[in-house]
Amino acid sequence: MTRAATRRREGNVPESKQPVIETRGLRKVFRDFWRRPTVEAVKGLDLTVNDGEVFGLLGPNGSGKSTTIKMLLGLLRPTAGLVRVLGAAPDDTRAKARIGYLPEVSHLHPFLTPRETLMYYASLFGMPRKEAVRRTHELLVMVDLEHAADRAVGGFSKGMARRVGLAQALVNAPDLLILDEPTSGLDPIGSREVKDLVRALAQGGVSVLMTSHLLADVEDVCDRVAILERGALRAEGMIADLLRQPDAVRFEVEGLDEPAAAAVRAELEAHTGRRVRQEYPAMSLERYFLQVVAQDGRQRTFALAPFLGTAPADTERLTPNSQLPIPNS
Amino acid sequence: MLAVRAALRTRTVGALLALLAACVLVLPGVVKGDGTPEGELHILLTYTLGFAFGILCLATLWAACALFAAEIDSARMQLSAVKPVRAAEFWAGKWLALLALNGVALLAVYAGVYAQVRWRTHRDGWEAVEQPVSRRVAHPLLPTPRQEARETLDELRARNELPHGYSERTILRVLEEKAHEKYTEIPPGRQQAWRFRLSRPLRTSETVTVRLRFETEYNTRAQVTGICRLGCVETARAVEVPLDDFTLKEIEFAVDARAFGQAPEAGLRTFELSFEHTGDAQHAPGLLLRFRKDVALLTPGGSFWMNLLRAAAVHGSVLALLAAFGLTLSVCFSLPVAAFVATVLLVLTMVGNSVVQVVSEEDAKKWSNRAGVLVSRTVHGATRHALQAEPLAALTNGERLDAGMLRASVGWNALLLPLLLAAAGCAVLRRRELADAE
Repeated sequence: MTRAATRRREGNVPESKQPVIETRGLRKVFRDFWRRPTVEAVKGLDLTVNDGEVFGLLGPNGSGKSTTIKMLLGLLRPTAGLVRVLGAAPDDTRAKARIGYLPEVSHLHPFLTPRETLMYYASLFGMPRKEAVRRTHELLVMVDLEHAADRAVGGFSKGMARRVGLAQALVNAPDLLILDEPTSGLDPIGSREVKDLVRALAQGGVSVLMTSHLLADVEDVCDRVAILERGALRAEGMIADLLRQPDAVRFEVEGLDEPAAAAVRAELEAHTGRRVRQEYPAMSLERYFLQVVAQDGRQRTFALAPFLGTAPADTERLTPNSQLPIPNS
Repeated sequence: MLAVRAALRTRTVGALLALLAACVLVLPGVVKGDGTPEGELHILLTYTLGFAFGILCLATLWAACALFAAEIDSARMQLSAVKPVRAAEFWAGKWLALLALNGVALLAVYAGVYAQVRWRTHRDGWEAVEQPVSRRVAHPLLPTPRQEARETLDELRARNELPHGYSERTILRVLEEKAHEKYTEIPPGRQQAWRFRLSRPLRTSETVTVRLRFETEYNTRAQVTGICRLGCVETARAVEVPLDDFTLKEIEFAVDARAFGQAPEAGLRTFELSFEHTGDAQHAPGLLLRFRKDVALLTPGGSFWMNLLRAAAVHGSVLALLAAFGLTLSVCFSLPVAAFVATVLLVLTMVGNSVVQVVSEEDAKKWSNRAGVLVSRTVHGATRHALQAEPLAALTNGERLDAGMLRASVGWNALLLPLLLAAAGCAVLRRRELADAE
């Protein structure tokens, strides 16, 4: 953990803007067996992810998101360009010791149990056995897999395997977390929990780079995003800035009946000379689903508090005592 | 430990262990010997250990080929490669895990064979058999094959009889190979003597065994008779033993060291052995011997189980080499390609020695043979030192695997060659992309 991150977690240092990931003119050309170029997956990408921020890498299939991530991790070699991760080259073992990585598919050893899997990855970080045992226990509790801790991973559902994958990404308490499609294969509850976790980690000072096809997920958790298309950067910026519509204003009023609403609308149309759209806002299907499931008693929250030392402040916990209204169905 | 634990949970390892157990427990009962204790012991040591070792060789090689290749193909390697672990640590970890598994399996096989030898010795009275012992082997003091080859070359050059079209280096190599296997005839009426120096002095309470192996014509070998004289240089005392049964192509007889008189303080170390062919000059055939291989003095050299342990160490070192070889191939290629290349090279190693010996220089020059001979000679040359120890032959002959051979085997197979292979494998692993375009 960086000193800055530690101090931020302790709440006594303002956020810095040191880059944790930097690429300049990053390019990747895949070649066939005869070394002939087949596809240029990444075309001169300039990207900066700052310390402590949650950065989303978006793009359609084949846009170069995963290729970029794999170059950041040293799994692929750039054809050209510069890559710096935590101030070092991607294959620097000191930098690797501070990175957590969750690939798109978890790729776990099928004959090992979650406990053994986490112990194994902890050992790759050179963690003392006693600490590894403690850490493994904490992570198993966090991803709610204590009950299945001694079953072989090969028999797990995709969601359970994903949880083990997530736990292994956190085994070293990383400063930089790289998540490739972190909610892939998870049910809505699992998805929500991962998003909660990402926010909580970010509040604790962890920098996060994530990709996702699910734009709502990215919108929920990311501070900044970059959009790739066919290997090239098309847009980049703070989500709030990118999504702002400066020429539109929306009011939300509770308890307004239909005649009053019609009157307000007519008044606004007369004032602006434009047509005013009137809507009855609905909650998202995800939020509704989560409430129903939580009401049903299926609480399955990531136990973040013991892991981080703090609970996520701005995320809603799924509990049967949720204060959110449940519409009649 | 986790790698070992994970491996034990796979069906393949279970099947392998079952196969090894069947090899040790069932094979000696199925394969029948010639009914003699020596024959039974030969079956037990050669077939059982040979089969089990063969199975372990293939299993080790293929498992090693799978270790990196399968992890890279299944993308499982990606999760490990992003951790702060060096390529050499990955390589060494997998190699040691394979060694641990193989070491346990090999020791279990050897323990099973040792238990059977003990049981059969007790049940069938094998105490009389000399083979479940360990004996030091002393060969005659002769010029080295290289020296002999050089002398022959000098003679040929002096007589202007060097074969045309071959370099002196090639001629020297061929002469050296022939010197190893050169047969010399002792015709009737002739005598041949050899001098020996034991690596450890003989105590007066011990015995020294003379072993002669020979080739004679099948129909006339019964007419061969001779007299062997074994004398100790230090005490100037000799023992004479008449020999009249040459039907088994091998003669062994033991002489009590007390027969050589009072031993000096340094012990009995230098001996002279002579054989006089006393057969009928008209009808008896000559006796053909390879002096370097067929004439030997055998003296006590420790216990059988220690020798068994040495043989296990030699076999273990070969498995270590195969594991290293398979691992390096698995870094370079996908599993099917690595397994194919490994198997082909293993076969070439096994036949390489025969090809080198059988193919004449004239045949080797033919264009159709050139590639095959070149590959065979290269593989043979590269593996010659690694595979020169023959633990099964030593065990069945009751010969002690000497420390030099053991050191060479372990040094080459378990240290030097794996180190070179590891360096190559790690260099490739560092450069190789562990993900693909997906």
